[in-house]
Amino acid sequence: MRLLTHNMLSSNIKGVANGFPLGIEVEKVIEKQVELSADFLRNLFPKIEWKALVDAARTMGYAELPEEVDSSMLDSNEFLTKFHHALLELHLEEGALVCPETGRRFPVTKGIPNMLLHEDEV
Amino acid sequence: MLYNVLRVIRCFYQSQHACSVLTIAHSLRQSGIFSTMREVNIKGASGLCTLVSDGQSEIPQSVSDSENMGKSFFSVQSTPEIEKKYVHHVYDAIAPHFSSTRFAKWPKVATFLSSLPSGSLVLDAGCGNGKYLGLNPDCFFIGCDISAPLIKICADRGHEVLVADAINLPYRTDFGDAAISIAVLHHLSTEIRRKRAIEELVRVVKKGGLVLITVWAVEQEDRSLLAKWTPLSEKYVEEWIGPGSPLARSPSSLPLESIPENEDNGSRDHIEDSMEKMHETPHLTSESKYDSLSLKHEKNTKNQQEYFVPWHLPYHRAEVSGASACALANGLAKKDDKKGAVVYNRYYHVFSEGELERLASGIDNAVIVDQFYDKSNWCIILEKIL
Repeated sequence: MRLLTHNMLSSNIKGVANGFPLGIEVEKVIEKQVELSADFLRNLFPKIEWKALVDAARTMGYAELPEEVDSSMLDSNEFLTKFHHALLELHLEEGALVCPETGRRFPVTKGIPNMLLHEDEV
Repeated sequence: MLYNVLRVIRCFYQSQHACSVLTIAHSLRQSGIFSTMREVNIKGASGLCTLVSDGQSEIPQSVSDSENMGKSFFSVQSTPEIEKKYVHHVYDAIAPHFSSTRFAKWPKVATFLSSLPSGSLVLDAGCGNGKYLGLNPDCFFIGCDISAPLIKICADRGHEVLVADAINLPYRTDFGDAAISIAVLHHLSTEIRRKRAIEELVRVVKKGGLVLITVWAVEQEDRSLLAKWTPLSEKYVEEWIGPGSPLARSPSSLPLESIPENEDNGSRDHIEDSMEKMHETPHLTSESKYDSLSLKHEKNTKNQQEYFVPWHLPYHRAEVSGASACALANGLAKKDDKKGAVVYNRYYHVFSEGELERLASGIDNAVIVDQFYDKSNWCIILEKIL
């Protein structure tokens, strides 16, 4: 699971008012390089909840992202590289995502989160 | 309520399957009302395979608790039995074989994806084996499916995927640039769920975002294929999904009764493959040997939209999967020694002309920007406006 996905995921358990962001329990992180696309990063940037991304990256062992950002930073290659790395190159292989309100753990196995709810959670 | 219970008891005695006998008796014992049933002997009931994918056995709620069942059990998000048994479990069992037959990229979907702006984030809900993930190399795709085995196949190919339910996408609102739902909604057994799935697709894309939905049509280009499908009567579909139905509340493996179809006298080799391919590749004309049968079938099945569509899983594939032994024991699948395959049934609600449009029109924050029929599928493109 990439942090792009994590930035989109939200706990949809019945009764939860705000299921975002999910906490991250890390057991195994891997890094996989992919080609950087500035177009894509600039398109994504407005969608991203920045604080959630910074916190998640730090949990995954990457602390290079600036705490504060503005869109002018998208002109900086250095910033784009860090943004790209955090968003797309860090993978949670094993661990869990945790609902911020209920503490319910959604397992992540072989990089795949399982977000299915049980009968009593829908 | 009592009528339904009596029907269950009648089916109990008529059932051929030891496993289903155990299950019905189990659910009746739970009820506390049917003390006279407790003396019934249950034979050969050990080793019942549970059908619940998360490994927990379902304990049916007692009949006396029916008022307290709560909205949640019958909520739109609760998966009906017919979908668990005849969609989820089937795809889980056939995943690798199914995936090996899913390779042709349907031109209309490819066109839609290729027309998206560079750098778009595309959400594929019900992505199956990930056929369309990454189809436009300038876009980023995130796929989800309810079948973990199919998602595993996607992940092995390097795609960004997760296991999730299209009825309840675990996604923040307005995040995606576009969404696709290719041959998914016809596996949902109620109108409310089908509409809900469309609402979810619209919810997860940004304002101005596009949604492409395709579903199998009642109006099949090759009518002879309909003769291979088992039509299901509404009455029986209701029993498997309606509130208050004892079958909906217990993990019963009673075979679903269906309208008897004519004996088919043709070869079934690769029927599903050619049928699937027909939906997804340029239509190949073929001689129909079944004209008279299919005409009669049509007459009998006007307005018929609920079907079981068979999937033949070759024995050598079935053994690898392991799930087939369980399915056979539970009566969910049958062996066809002549074909050397385990035969599964998949539940479909095929869409009639205008149905997809009608469902989508009821959604306030989206407009229909295109709709068309192509290769036995009804298709629609929506744009989110608010």
